[in-house]
Amino acid sequence: MTPNSGTGTSATRRLGVLVIVLAIALALFGLRFSAEDVVQGSTVRIMYVHVPSIWTAYIAFILTAICSGVYLSRRQRSLAWDRVAGASAEIGVLFVAVSLVTGSLWGRLTWGTYWVWDARLTSTAFLFITYVGYLAVRRLDGTHRQRARRSSVMALLAILEIPLVHFSVNLWRSLHQDASVADPNAKVKLDGLMLFSLFLGLVTFTLLFVWLVLHRQRTMLLEDSFADRGLDVAIAERRNEAGAQ
Amino acid sequence: MDLTPRTNDESSAPSKKKRRWMPIVIVVAAMSAGGVVVTKFLTSAIDYYCNVDEVGSRSGCEGERRLRVQGIVEEGSVKQQDGGTSFVMVFNLEKIKVVYAGDPGGVFQECIPVVAHGRVVDGTLESDRIEVKHSNSYVEKNKTRLDTANKEAAACSVSEG
Repeated sequence: MTPNSGTGTSATRRLGVLVIVLAIALALFGLRFSAEDVVQGSTVRIMYVHVPSIWTAYIAFILTAICSGVYLSRRQRSLAWDRVAGASAEIGVLFVAVSLVTGSLWGRLTWGTYWVWDARLTSTAFLFITYVGYLAVRRLDGTHRQRARRSSVMALLAILEIPLVHFSVNLWRSLHQDASVADPNAKVKLDGLMLFSLFLGLVTFTLLFVWLVLHRQRTMLLEDSFADRGLDVAIAERRNEAGAQ
Repeated sequence: MDLTPRTNDESSAPSKKKRRWMPIVIVVAAMSAGGVVVTKFLTSAIDYYCNVDEVGSRSGCEGERRLRVQGIVEEGSVKQQDGGTSFVMVFNLEKIKVVYAGDPGGVFQECIPVVAHGRVVDGTLESDRIEVKHSNSYVEKNKTRLDTANKEAAACSVSEG
């Protein structure tokens, strides 16, 4: 890809159309076809966004860790791995934020409060802050390789929070309920179309994540290329100045 | 563009490799130790609530301190008078009366688990905050299901715990 080209390809455009179609289907199933919950009523519909959001965030942060590990382990360290790691983390932070907001709204309607400091909510907030910190580290001064090295180490440490967040409801007593689908006992406790709608949400959000990462990492390549070109120009100007003296 | 000067001193490579592993080993050891402390020794501090049957008996659930107590709202026990709400919470066959100055929010109802914040005074939990603890079961609201749910709810007080 040259610095002047865009970030889309025919494949990403097709993927984008598929995501739009799935999002419309999710809206129909989530808001119209699936039934209300016997206790929560329509509040249950928040789950079709809340659960896929945190699921996608988990995937994003795992991908960030994998790419960071590959970057550090290869002799020829390609910055492409670092860019995918960074793009994935950015989108992961976005999805954690969506999960926190939707969960908070659900909590107000079901628990009677927007927020409690129980193990699940606190660890999720900590996860969010950690990855905001990761993004801040990526913005520190330095070369692309320095950025990649620092953030890769941080990504490999931050990923250890994922099992802590996920299993917090099993490790400690929490106001947040246990897992309904990713249950260690594999007992699915969602009726009919509720389960299907949730599954549709997981697929839609996952594909949306893939689409966003593809575009974002290409944007990052353009940013890096632009910065490199700026440096090259600065060096050339300096040499010209030195030659003129 | 990385302009950092590089050296090709191959003789120092093995010791550098060893030194590279040391921070990783230290971090993993420290995080493992932290994990053990958090999951094994800080349980009562991190647990969000005490169950009704643990009030006064479990560490961190002493009766004289402010508590968060979890239990099922006993069927037929909810009474609303003078703008307040009183009900009985049950868990593991133990019961505690709860008095709350207000109308509990959320989906508060009988036969549902709740967490009540407050202090135990003369055997009654004087609560200033009620939170409904929703289960991880999601049941469609339609007539057949509703009948089944109502039947199950009718037996909640005797089956819970």
